[in-house]
Amino acid sequence: MKILIVEDEEALSESMVQYLSREGFVCETAYSLDQAAEKIELYLYDAAIVDLALPDGDGLSVIRKLKHIAAATGIIIVSARKALEDKIRGLETGSDDYLTKPFSLPELNARLKSLIRRRHFGGNNEIIFREIRVNPYSRQVFVSNRETHLSRKEYDLLLYFLSNIDAVLTKESIAEHLWGDYVDSADSLDMVYSHIKNLRKKLAGPSDAGYIQSVYGIGYKFRSL
Amino acid sequence: MKLLTKASRTYFLVSLVVFLAASFVFYFIIRSVIYREIEDRLLLEKHDFELFVRKWKHWSDENFFVENKIQVVALQGSEINQQIVFKDTLMYESFEGEAMPFRQLTFQTFIDGQPHLVSIRKSMLEPITIIEVVTGTMMTFLAILLVCLFFIHRRLSKTLWLPFYESLARIKAFDWTRQTGKEEEVTFPTGEIQEFNELNLALTRMTTQICHDYRGLREFTENASHEIQTPLALITARVEQMIQSENLSGEQLHWIQEIYHSSRRISRLLESLLLLSKIENKQFTDVAEEDLAASAEQKLDDFSDILKHKRIRVEKKLKQPFRLHMSHALQDILLSNLLKNAIRHNHPDGVILLSSRNGVLEISNTGPDLTVPAEVLFERFRKESGDKESLGLGLSIVRQICDCYDLRVTYLYEKPFHKVMIMPAVVTSSAPEEQAPVSGTVNS
Repeated sequence: MKILIVEDEEALSESMVQYLSREGFVCETAYSLDQAAEKIELYLYDAAIVDLALPDGDGLSVIRKLKHIAAATGIIIVSARKALEDKIRGLETGSDDYLTKPFSLPELNARLKSLIRRRHFGGNNEIIFREIRVNPYSRQVFVSNRETHLSRKEYDLLLYFLSNIDAVLTKESIAEHLWGDYVDSADSLDMVYSHIKNLRKKLAGPSDAGYIQSVYGIGYKFRSL
Repeated sequence: MKLLTKASRTYFLVSLVVFLAASFVFYFIIRSVIYREIEDRLLLEKHDFELFVRKWKHWSDENFFVENKIQVVALQGSEINQQIVFKDTLMYESFEGEAMPFRQLTFQTFIDGQPHLVSIRKSMLEPITIIEVVTGTMMTFLAILLVCLFFIHRRLSKTLWLPFYESLARIKAFDWTRQTGKEEEVTFPTGEIQEFNELNLALTRMTTQICHDYRGLREFTENASHEIQTPLALITARVEQMIQSENLSGEQLHWIQEIYHSSRRISRLLESLLLLSKIENKQFTDVAEEDLAASAEQKLDDFSDILKHKRIRVEKKLKQPFRLHMSHALQDILLSNLLKNAIRHNHPDGVILLSSRNGVLEISNTGPDLTVPAEVLFERFRKESGDKESLGLGLSIVRQICDCYDLRVTYLYEKPFHKVMIMPAVVTSSAPEEQAPVSGTVNS
């Protein structure tokens, strides 16, 4: 999977490249509107991550161009602007998703994967990890071929883990993934804990592999063992 | 009072005073002139009378054909008084058949060595008529003049002040939040009156400055958000990469956790402060009719997880809608903040009460005792609970939003309930919105 990252802050761009490369993405970077335009003309990307505030102009023009040249490319906007109208404008221009800075890398990764699944497989390909099988279309989860019923949030949590295998996810990033910014208090971290507990119980098949490991003080990690 | 009304009223009052005073003075001047004339004539006649008497040694009424003109009465004794007395008197005149006004000169003189009292009279009928006619004519002309001046003044004022009213209308219509481009600043017409031109110049300078400042402020908030959130995004990203490494000590993990936490906190703080200044700058200009009661009920669904988690019971008493014209985004923030507070400062197995009746929207929740006066909770960075996550800006934002839409927000602690009540401020400039029908009852 080849993606283009259009972000003028080089260190941030580099950090995205590092994290996403680990997840198997081939990343190209552009630090300005010009560079982005050039790369779009030359190569075909599966997805693009676009910052709106670029030194030489508005990132929305990159999106327009992408839509024109390669309509199949999925687009995620990454912007510091949080206002609703900015989001709406971005989505109207043709982006598929909108993340506000500061964002969490696992979140970006999860959204990118979900976007590519939707765009390129019609959301119908199953996610398989050892004995766990997830059908994103029907939102069904099978453990060792037996269906396990997960609540909506437990399902989201599992998918978030499966998108970021072997990565430490902070409690805050999990809470934000599950509830957006609706809840940003001690209560939400408490809730993360209780959801993890339930998910662990439901995933524990006969093998009882214990995939979800806690990282003290920070968060959780889904181990591939 | 309108400028024209005020000017006209003053003009009218001054005119009336001038008119009355002028009429009065005029009347007395005319009168005194005519009286002096008559008295001079009477003195002349006295002189003639004395010449006649001196020559003929007697006086006879038959000499005159007008009756009562000169009356001579013999006096007792041998002394006379030299005094001359003028006075007004009424005499019966046989010609007209009624009493007529006369001016009378009375003096004492010797006729043939005998003292006599002599009264010479002159009819005042004509002079009085003259006084009346002249004064009346003058008054009429003066009145006509003043009335004409009054209308000319009104007419003139209207045309003279026209540029002023034009400028006034433009400045009233001036909305700096709408001025986004460079050239759409308000323009004021230039006319021939220097003062108005100066006023318009000053207004133009002011509005331009306001637009300029407002744009600057707007850009600042947008840029500040971008310039600060991007480095914060980098910190968060780097921390997330760092924690992936296996060989971190417990202490290092703790530090990293603190860095991560603080950067997230700065980000949220910045967002809230920018939001506050955006509300203050009136940058939310979209307006739609919103029913806060229904929205609050809907919003509770977003919190269903945490409500279930904390086992908080929600009671709804939505007797009537709470309709308001406001920005949708601000409505969302307002209700979010209030409900978040109601959940965060609640204890497990607590209660949240959502009610809307008699034009008051109330969100109350159970929770620990209040340790500070309720009013200070609306101040910035005021935290009541020991919750470290709380920024202490939630209620300030609520207050700011309420101020924007002339709403009054009150915090009340009536054990065990913390109540936040929102209602229209007492002095509503516009007419009451509507009488909510009781049939619209939304009860849980």
